[in-house]
Amino acid sequence: MPALAIPPLASPAVPHRRRAAGWLAALALCLVAGQAAAVELSMWVMPVTNNAQRDIPALIAPWVARHPGVTVRVTVLDWESGWNKITAAAASRRGPDLLELGSTWMPAIAAMGGLEPLSAAQLAEVGNGAPYYPQLWKTTQVFGRPGIYGLPWYADVRAAFYRTDVFRQAGVDPARAFADWDSFRAALRRINGITVAGKRVAALAYAGKNDWNVVHNLAPWIWNAGGDMLTADAKRSALDTPQALQAIAFYSSLAVEGLVPSNALEKDSDILEGAWVGGDYGVIFSGPWLMRRIFEAPAGSVARANFDVAPYPAGPHGRASFFGGSNLAIFKGSRHKAEAWDLVRYLGGKEPQVRLSLLSSMMPARVDAANDPAWTARHPAYARLTAIAADGRAYPPIPAWGPLEAVYTKHLGELAELSSGVGDKYSEPAMRALIHDTVVEADKVLQEAD
Amino acid sequence: MSTVSEPGPAALAGARATPRPRRRKVDAFPYLLLAPAALMMVIVNLLPIVQGLRMSMLKLNQYTLSQFMDAPFIGLRNYRGVLFDPDNPVHAGMLGALRNTALYSILVTACSVGIGLGVALLLDREFPGKALARTLLMLPWVVPTYVVGTLWGFMWQRDEGIVNHVLVDVLHLMDHKPFWLIGGNTFFAIVIPTVWRAWPVLMLIFLAALQAVPEDLYEAARLDGAGAWQRFRHITLPALKPVIVIQVMFQIIDNIYSYNIVAMMFGKGAGYPGEWGDLLMPLLTRQSFSYWRFGEGAAVSFVMMAVMLVFVALWMRAFRRSMTDEE
Repeated sequence: MPALAIPPLASPAVPHRRRAAGWLAALALCLVAGQAAAVELSMWVMPVTNNAQRDIPALIAPWVARHPGVTVRVTVLDWESGWNKITAAAASRRGPDLLELGSTWMPAIAAMGGLEPLSAAQLAEVGNGAPYYPQLWKTTQVFGRPGIYGLPWYADVRAAFYRTDVFRQAGVDPARAFADWDSFRAALRRINGITVAGKRVAALAYAGKNDWNVVHNLAPWIWNAGGDMLTADAKRSALDTPQALQAIAFYSSLAVEGLVPSNALEKDSDILEGAWVGGDYGVIFSGPWLMRRIFEAPAGSVARANFDVAPYPAGPHGRASFFGGSNLAIFKGSRHKAEAWDLVRYLGGKEPQVRLSLLSSMMPARVDAANDPAWTARHPAYARLTAIAADGRAYPPIPAWGPLEAVYTKHLGELAELSSGVGDKYSEPAMRALIHDTVVEADKVLQEAD
Repeated sequence: MSTVSEPGPAALAGARATPRPRRRKVDAFPYLLLAPAALMMVIVNLLPIVQGLRMSMLKLNQYTLSQFMDAPFIGLRNYRGVLFDPDNPVHAGMLGALRNTALYSILVTACSVGIGLGVALLLDREFPGKALARTLLMLPWVVPTYVVGTLWGFMWQRDEGIVNHVLVDVLHLMDHKPFWLIGGNTFFAIVIPTVWRAWPVLMLIFLAALQAVPEDLYEAARLDGAGAWQRFRHITLPALKPVIVIQVMFQIIDNIYSYNIVAMMFGKGAGYPGEWGDLLMPLLTRQSFSYWRFGEGAAVSFVMMAVMLVFVALWMRAFRRSMTDEE
């Protein structure tokens, strides 16, 4: 057969072909092996420390050292643009392998299908959430649905930061001042306008508009009056309940009475915190990040030498504080979910959480880490924050929280304008009308979620 | 009965006898040169516009965003909602934002063009340090609008801001420090920084246009005894009219689409600038990216685009002669 006549001609080529095929196969194996060995995890985080681009790689360095062949590319987003970037990634399924999400953001991104739910085995590896604050563990879920979408990473617990020298000079006992609403108002009246260290001190600072914290600042007052931000089924706004209205009226009255100066209402939290550290205000409600700012102030600054932390004044129904923070989650589109989970689990551990809290001043999200002496012994205020966290309360993890918070922020900004005394005069009917409009708009947002 | 007659042999012969018109040869080379630019225009402009138009007809919100262009099609419902539904939050805020945007655009344009023209006339003469003065006057325009919004946000603060310090403590023009970032003054708090940033570039454009006005005209006018006002009215203004007409149009378009200064001055997009501080673009951004109503946001942007197209068409029609220098 003619075909059989070919071998003499082809025979020298066969070993070449085989050799070439062998080389190609070896090259392909090398490439595959190389790819397997060179996993690059992409991680998105928020600027939790002053230099997150340096600190987060340092935080994960021990994990990277234990995983040769895995590198982690850290991208630091910012809170203003991070939301748009993350939602775009979730919608397009193109994003990082793991990411940090604000506790109120997580349900929305999870509901969009952007996050990988944790398996039963993974949950078992982290004790089914037992090491974490239960309030924060709830923020890794979607209200009314099964599934856990990540681990709490660090916590934001709000408290009253006050100037001890101001209280001392005014003859006010802090323990009594923060006992309840009436004693708090009485204390503010006594410290308002006194001069300490050559500076006239205004009693209290809170942001009125132009700030993302407007809702978080108000929430504990509503909870402590027995009210809530939403009804129990999370289908309606609850700002118009008698309890919530009582809290809003009290909160606004502090500005109407001049205990919160009108000029505070035009500033954002960042400016107000700087002004409090600079000695302009006696009390400010803020979070653990303020500790970092206090200790970064010059050694002789009045706030650094004379400050302490107290819980919210108890209302008729309790003494809750706002409790939020950030969680870590695995992105649905990740091609390295196993490695991503391993890193998430590592960062959810006690030792990395303590280290992060020391770098950032944010409170650990694990109960054992928040009670670790490395955190609590730094300054008595850190231990007080841990104690306040026991009464911490988080928003219900509904996917619609983002738009809902935008509605609340807008209308509460209008309430601040009303309380400021510029333009229309504050009155309880005017406040109620404004809250009614807020509830109508908020309910529309919630109806869309059904 | 047939009404169509067959052409006779003579007619066919006549047709054959008629010389065929020569087809004009088309030179393809210019089209080839234009093709890349046209393709880029389609990719960069036309496709996003078409996609945006489709988005405006989708129920595209937080819950359907992952479906993106496959979100439920709802026709013109978004347009009906934002234009006519009094219960729609976008509609509720739009009337106030529309009023503010109209007043803001007119005021900013008038002031920027007026100041720009006035300073250009002052600079259109020789004096020592002219180049330095011109450079220094351009500085506000060099500052990005994001920075302008942030800086003026600090400057407007009642107690610590430099504006009240100058008005009250230095010049004694007022007996108390007013609020600029709360209440009705918010309108002026957004107008003044916009004018501050806009007029220098207009001044430069007008100054360049003034260089092109023949000096002979002014000399002839002087010989005829024309005063400064008459020379301005009868020589300068007609000569600058094409530039002014174009710049007014650009300014109005820019100001209607203004966003950065308001957003940065009022909480970097966090808050609500207030009844007198809200403009259409911040409203649109809030609806789209804070409330996640992307479909309605797209509808608002198309309404704005349609209004702007009508405005530009009317403006071009009214001032076509001035712009093209036709008589």
